[in-house]
Amino acid sequence: MVETVLEVHNLVKDYGSFRAVDNLSFSLPKGKIVGFLGPNGAGKTTTIQILLGITSATSGKISYFGKDFIKNRSDCLQRINFSSAFNDLLGRITVYENLVVFAHLYGLKNPKKKIYELLDHFEITSIAHIKYLDLSTGQKTRVNFAKALINDPEILLMDEPTASLDPDIADKTLSMIEDLKKSRELSILYTSHNMDEITRICDEVIILDHGRIVAQDTPLGLTKMIPTAQVRLTFDNTKKVVEEYLDKHEFTYEFESAHSVLIDTEEKLIPKLIFGISKTDIWITDIDVIKSSLEDVFLHIARRKKT
Amino acid sequence: MDLVFFPIMSIIVFGFLSIYLSGFNNFSIGRGVLLGMLLWQVIWIVQYSVALGSLWNIWSRNLSNLFVTPLTVREYIFAQAFSGILKMFIIFLGSSVVCFYFFNFNILDIGIANLAIVILNLMLFGFALGLVILGLIFRFGTRIQAFAWGILPFFQPITAAFYPVSVLPPFLQNVAYTLPPTYVFEATRGILNGLPMDMHQMSTALLLNIFYLTLAIISFDYNFKKSKESGQFARNEG
Repeated sequence: MVETVLEVHNLVKDYGSFRAVDNLSFSLPKGKIVGFLGPNGAGKTTTIQILLGITSATSGKISYFGKDFIKNRSDCLQRINFSSAFNDLLGRITVYENLVVFAHLYGLKNPKKKIYELLDHFEITSIAHIKYLDLSTGQKTRVNFAKALINDPEILLMDEPTASLDPDIADKTLSMIEDLKKSRELSILYTSHNMDEITRICDEVIILDHGRIVAQDTPLGLTKMIPTAQVRLTFDNTKKVVEEYLDKHEFTYEFESAHSVLIDTEEKLIPKLIFGISKTDIWITDIDVIKSSLEDVFLHIARRKKT
Repeated sequence: MDLVFFPIMSIIVFGFLSIYLSGFNNFSIGRGVLLGMLLWQVIWIVQYSVALGSLWNIWSRNLSNLFVTPLTVREYIFAQAFSGILKMFIIFLGSSVVCFYFFNFNILDIGIANLAIVILNLMLFGFALGLVILGLIFRFGTRIQAFAWGILPFFQPITAAFYPVSVLPPFLQNVAYTLPPTYVFEATRGILNGLPMDMHQMSTALLLNIFYLTLAIISFDYNFKKSKESGQFARNEG
């Protein structure tokens, strides 16, 4: 049985008459990354803030490691940490001094050793005595990760950690998160509105909209919510031959050019389509299967709600 | 830097003013003005430090980082107060040295034990005020950050830091006597004029300080709770 490190039951947050988090229940299994996906205002950041105790919930229950968070705030926070693109460290002091502060807040016995271990791990030892203010964005990201791991957390809450990073640094950041999950068996709750990121690193995805869970599954499972896919065929024949075949078998399609067609079909019918078409005189030069992405799932859900 | 620069510059200005006043009027008025300035800094540094220390964390977007550790709000406030008191002692020492060497005024003339009671009372008032402002900043965000440096000057004229309370109009005298620093400044000026320390005034100041500190703690707790309920605490960092 998979151990659960975080359990949330019926979490509600009201700001006056506006309900930001609406009866949210979910759990975070040990060693897994659970992603919160949703548009701006979906309730992702508010949920993270409540889970960290910096915003209070209207109702609901949060348990870390089987302990009630409200009653055991310090014990729970001792075992978790937080990283966000929206937070920084003190700019006027050095990287090392910043980390020493946090090391003491977590009651570390040998702060210096731990700090240099982390600086080594993230390959930033050379900037230890540089003021945080003078660092590049990439360096700051690494320092923030070092801060987030200073207490050897068992759970890491990450609020859009790649927001405002350039693609190269964002990619490196995601690699670091993947590496952390593997090397430390960290449980991570990860919020983002970037579908590709979520697909890449999360074991499970929770799609939020208006504070509610509208879908919850593995990234693959969610994409299967949309049974249709598209097949792009590139061919050498004339358009007419292909058109005849597709009409005969009642496919929905659209020619992108004289030698390329985009066919809508159910995913399970793709082998049949390709097998069937290969038996004709059509000379296929390229096949591209376009499966639905998390973005499609999200749009699908959003449209379904509107209708 | 501002915490060191402004007090020292004020001491220098008031030092020359005291020389000027001593030359034209009498020696004790000049010394009283300098004493007032020196002691006023105790309130200012503690209050400013408590409120501004947190603003630095908000401006650096670091406040949430602190409060997602096992740190409790009580520990945080204690640390801010300790830091403020430490800064106050260092700057007070520096200002006192400037007074002694450049303006021939020795704060120890009022007596070490008396000075300790005076500083304790002024520190408590500065801390209570800082705590109220901090709670308001947590609750309403940086849009009221000017309170951190803008509230205290409101108290300066009515606490009679540089002149006797009797100078104030009667209705302001009543207001002045609701504030602990008024009693401290009155009693300390009395010592400079050769009177013994008025323990009645000092104990009144202490009782008022305890009262105001209790109100400040209640006010801070309420505003801190509200800031977490409204989400403002987490939003403070923009």
